[in-house]
Amino acid sequence: MSIKVKNLTKSFDGKNVIDNISFEVHDGETLAIVGFSGSGKSTVLKLICGLIEKDGGEIITSEGDIAMVFQYSALFDSLNVADNISFALRERKDLRNKYKEEELRSIVSQKLELVGLKGIESKFPSELSGGMQKRVSFARAIVTEPKTILYDEPTAGLDPISSTLIEDYIVRLQQETNAASIVVTHQMSTITRTANKLIMLYKGKIVFAGTPEEMLRQDNPYTKQFVTASLEGPMHMLS
Amino acid sequence: MITFKQYLRQSTTYKIFKIFIREFVDFLTTFGDIVENGLKTLRYILTFQVNVKELMDQCVRFGISSLPITLSIVGMTSIIVTSQVASEMVKQGGGHFVGLLMSILIIREVGAIMSGFAIVSMIGSSLASEIATMRVTEQIDAISVLDVDPIRYLFVPRILSGIIMMPVIVIIASAFGILTGALTTKLTTELGYRAYFDSVWLGIYMKDLGVCLLKSICFGGTIALISCACGYQASGGAKGVGLATTKAVVWSFVAIVIWDMIFAIAFFF
Ligand SMILES: Nc1ncnc2c1ncn2[C@@H]1O[C@H](COP(=O)(O)OP(=O)(O)O)[C@@H](O)[C@H]1O
Ligand SMILES: [Mg+2]
Repeated sequence: MSIKVKNLTKSFDGKNVIDNISFEVHDGETLAIVGFSGSGKSTVLKLICGLIEKDGGEIITSEGDIAMVFQYSALFDSLNVADNISFALRERKDLRNKYKEEELRSIVSQKLELVGLKGIESKFPSELSGGMQKRVSFARAIVTEPKTILYDEPTAGLDPISSTLIEDYIVRLQQETNAASIVVTHQMSTITRTANKLIMLYKGKIVFAGTPEEMLRQDNPYTKQFVTASLEGPMHMLS
Repeated sequence: MITFKQYLRQSTTYKIFKIFIREFVDFLTTFGDIVENGLKTLRYILTFQVNVKELMDQCVRFGISSLPITLSIVGMTSIIVTSQVASEMVKQGGGHFVGLLMSILIIREVGAIMSGFAIVSMIGSSLASEIATMRVTEQIDAISVLDVDPIRYLFVPRILSGIIMMPVIVIIASAFGILTGALTTKLTTELGYRAYFDSVWLGIYMKDLGVCLLKSICFGGTIALISCACGYQASGGAKGVGLATTKAVVWSFVAIVIWDMIFAIAFFF
């Protein structure tokens, strides 16, 4: 057990955004969450990492830190890359003053190397491309060796090659850390390359749960509509 | 046929009433946020949980970068007042009180409040838009997920820098105001610097200086707190940043005028 979600509910202004969903992700597994914009995917991640309070249900994660990679990277634009990555080590109550400057520097360069970016420590986020920002935000998220990693649309808005790079890092991190991961995505390549299982959300409910292969078989009206990107089907964008 | 309830819902009175209620709730929420975050910040400050490097950066931002605008505003206010009253006072035989008038005026009122206005427009707006931008770009969420309290990281150094730097700014600006007063007196009357400064000393009371410092500490802390808190509760993209900044400036302006009134009543009534 690493992430266990049971009967989770959350509503905003009387609207059920997450409506009684349950799923599990084991250590070393990656779950993909797919669904239209507004179907509550980011809300699930924010509930798991504690950014918003749940209304009901249970969320159990294994001991250790939870990392989140934000959709738009959310790098601290007033800090350079090195300070972004070492942020938690410098500022967190239990880690503050634990590391010396040289140690921090070597941790930073090691994490940067892990995401394939060497020698950009002193650059500022605004000087980096979208794909590089994403990778720096990976490095920042994993600096405390988390046991749970959440990715919110890690490949959205990236070119195909950057997407492939990011997907490779997700797989590599999963192998190296044996963390339980959740990847929210719309992108077929990200689903097939990173995830072992998948759930599809629609109006806050799980309408499909299975493996990526099962989804591609399209024997469920929801997966069929999603995979063929069709306007016809049980899901409606409007209303 | 519409029911009375439906009629009521579409009436202008109802709509205005609804807007009024919404604004009132918003007012209470903002006020609550300011108090809550202020208390949290105070707890960190009192237990010395302060990031010194951040504090230094914020002090430079608060004090140094705002100095030109603060000096010009206080200096020009002093020129405006002196150029209007100095010649009149000399004509009426009160020439040896010009310096006294200016030092009392600036130390008791003009130095602090005009610096306050300058700081609100310069530092308050920049703090609010900075933090609001961090909010809407999820940087604040990122801080929380990394298990760091955004109040400690963002509020504490900014508010503490306001408390530390505002008295410094007010002292420098006030001294500058008294100097520009001297220059204006010299240019507009036959009174010399000597006569002006001899009476300046007569107008400097320890009590006034103490009140002035206390007042500027309150101004600095309040401006930084309100600006941070308004930025912190921002939501919804660029528009949200704009709304938060406007709110921060308006609230800070009103707050320092209220402080000023409280000080006037408490110490000079
Ligand atoms: N803080 C919030 N306040 C009010 N409504 C929200 C909030 N966060 C999300 N929502 C609403 O919840 C729904 C799901 O949002 P989200 O989880 O971001 O969707 P997704 O990530 O799948 O695109 C949307 O309709 C959104 O408007
Ligand atoms: Mg989302």
